[in-house]
Amino acid sequence: MSKLGITDRATVIIDAGGVVRYAASVGPSGERDMAAVVAEAERIAAAYDGELRPDEAAPPIPAGARLFVKNNCGFSTAVLAAFDNLHLGDRLQVINVSESPDGLAELEALTGKGQAPCLVIDGEPLHESKAIIACLVERCAPC
Amino acid sequence: MIKPGTEAPDFALNDHFGRTIALADLRGRKHAMLVFYPLDFTPT
Repeated sequence: MSKLGITDRATVIIDAGGVVRYAASVGPSGERDMAAVVAEAERIAAAYDGELRPDEAAPPIPAGARLFVKNNCGFSTAVLAAFDNLHLGDRLQVINVSESPDGLAELEALTGKGQAPCLVIDGEPLHESKAIIACLVERCAPC
Repeated sequence: MIKPGTEAPDFALNDHFGRTIALADLRGRKHAMLVFYPLDFTPT
């Protein structure tokens, strides 16, 4: 990328027509003005005069799928960040076992232990946060 | 430096979920923002 003049902290915005609309780069001692970049992105989106094809519909989440998380847990935080970024808010039930004794009991009944985070999907538990995120992306994300 | 107003070269990069996304996949569907940074916990 350095051949293209992109060094550290480069920012490039390309519109849906494939045209570069913004390109800037600051060196190691500089900082990117993210508010200005966001404003520029919004301006570019508003100025785009082509039509945007909508996303394909996200695949349905299997009935009975549940995501168990707990408080003060970095792995749960990572899983919840993916949950938010994938806009799964009204599609996948989240149960915080730190705040729901019934939820903890359900997790133990389903998996035999109270370990969270845990994604139960198709009746199978996933406990590793990376595996959970990969599964959410593969099974639940829009194409 | 890549110049505004020019056609972007096609490329493929991993997104924050680890999926490989090609610019061609986004054409006509989404705008794209590439944000490069050297390391975590360095200035934005």
